[in-house]
Amino acid sequence: MTRRTSLTPYLFLTPALLVIAVFTLYPIISVVYYSFTDYSIVTPPEWIGLRNYQQLMKDPVFWLALKHSFTYLLVTPTLIILCMILAIVVNRKLPGINLFRALYYIPVICGTIAVGIAWRMMLDTNGALNGLLLSMGILKEPVQWLAEPSYTLTIVMMLTIWLGLGYYMMIFLAGLQNIPEELYDAALIDGCNSWQKHWYVSVPGLRPQITFVAVISSLAALQVFNEVYILTGELGGILNSAVTIVFYMWRQAFRLHHAGMGSAVAMVLLIITLAFSIMNIRMLERGTEAQ
Amino acid sequence: MELTKSKPSSAIKQARVRGRTLETIFWYTVLCLIAVITVFPFIWVLSTSLKGPNDVIYSVPPQLFPNDPTIDNYRRVWQQLPMANFFTNSILVAAATVTLNLLFCSLAAYPFAKMQFRGKDLIFYLLLATFIVPPQLTYIPGFVLAVNVFHYYDTIFALIFPSLATVFNIFLMRQAFKTVPDELIDAGRIDGASELRIWWSILMPIVRPSLATIAIITFVSTWNDFLWPSLMLHTRERMTLPVGLANLQGMFTSDQRGIAAGVVMTIIPILIVFVLLQRQFVRGLSGAVKG
Repeated sequence: MTRRTSLTPYLFLTPALLVIAVFTLYPIISVVYYSFTDYSIVTPPEWIGLRNYQQLMKDPVFWLALKHSFTYLLVTPTLIILCMILAIVVNRKLPGINLFRALYYIPVICGTIAVGIAWRMMLDTNGALNGLLLSMGILKEPVQWLAEPSYTLTIVMMLTIWLGLGYYMMIFLAGLQNIPEELYDAALIDGCNSWQKHWYVSVPGLRPQITFVAVISSLAALQVFNEVYILTGELGGILNSAVTIVFYMWRQAFRLHHAGMGSAVAMVLLIITLAFSIMNIRMLERGTEAQ
Repeated sequence: MELTKSKPSSAIKQARVRGRTLETIFWYTVLCLIAVITVFPFIWVLSTSLKGPNDVIYSVPPQLFPNDPTIDNYRRVWQQLPMANFFTNSILVAAATVTLNLLFCSLAAYPFAKMQFRGKDLIFYLLLATFIVPPQLTYIPGFVLAVNVFHYYDTIFALIFPSLATVFNIFLMRQAFKTVPDELIDAGRIDGASELRIWWSILMPIVRPSLATIAIITFVSTWNDFLWPSLMLHTRERMTLPVGLANLQGMFTSDQRGIAAGVVMTIIPILIVFVLLQRQFVRGLSGAVKG
């Protein structure tokens, strides 16, 4: 009887733990091993010590990818500010407001690939954006938006921001609706105008949501791939202008068949992510202390 | 006395009403402008997809309404690409992943929420640790597993198996089960119900909202997943929608009308689902945050 009951919890855990052990835990351990080997998936891995890492340090494209991935983090503050403003804008009782919220949410549902292709058509040299800007007189000549290396990364980041607007807006909106009305009344009595009241009441009230959005969007920014791939193709932009760390890993492992090298890049990604998570946890702790 | 009092008050009231109307107009203008930014690429794609050979894609200013709308582009894409297969594959992958996630993750969550057993903390912290690891880290060993061990490369099983259970879903279900009072479970035990029976007939009906949240989060992420499926699926007939769509972009490079038709075809079904289940979608996707 006691024996049977003591086995029960493990039986409940088995299916899920088996999946996670085989498809998450084992891969994490083996990627550490592969990073020290010369490996092309077809031939068995051969131990080469630190050589992958040494080669990585010598590759200027790797450093470029790292720089791009850190630059990509600018997406996070931009999203926080834009989506907070957006949430304040849609947090009012107007007829049809739900329709607008839904319209802002559509890109979230449609997925990066479909939306990215739509963007690519707009950004084509013979696309709608050039047509629009030329007809308004903002541009004198068509711009090659996706062929100009200095624009590429910014454009890819704008797609990420655009894709996230509706999602993070909804999170901030849920937060705003939890802030008691009396706090706003008190702010008005204290002489705040309608913009100041958001600065003094909404922003502090949204603290948990700001932390959440900061964590989620910065991790997503470090792991970005789809937006780069769909806008710039297999090249990652002319002169690698939009290559991020995951894109670089993908190219090493699955295009150049350097799975060992790709694993070393994966390790770098892991270390950066861990450092970030520790920072985030510290931030969370400080956030709860302050409350 | 009364006259002098009422006159200014009605004037103030009038001014106030006018002020409010102006404010309302202002907010609707803002809302519409934002909607143009979030929706315009979709409208442009729709318009391009309906253009025949006589309607130009590039002009200054851009031509939004086709003079001679046609569904030829849709027919062409449908004939040249196995769109029906893309749909079937996407639906199969999403259905299997969602169903089995609900099952496996809520099974595993029950002991974590309501049982004491040896190694509970150890397993829990191990899961927590894997939670931080970026999924891209597992792709290289995952590829090796698919080719050498499970031999499911280029089948949809390669997409289903690795995502049968996620740590995030287990945590979410654990939180949900924790809210169920212990007395209910004890009552079941006194009645002689097995733990499996308690889980299925007492716990699962109570946590239905959480199950819906998990279903929606898993569905959207599976439906739009791209990088891993693009690594696994090679034969065109076996591709899911995002992979097929990216493939279409490569195939139809100079045929913008065809690409647009493909994008519209993939977006429409998910938009219909979104419109039908809008409330659940928004609550599910942003409901995971609780300050």
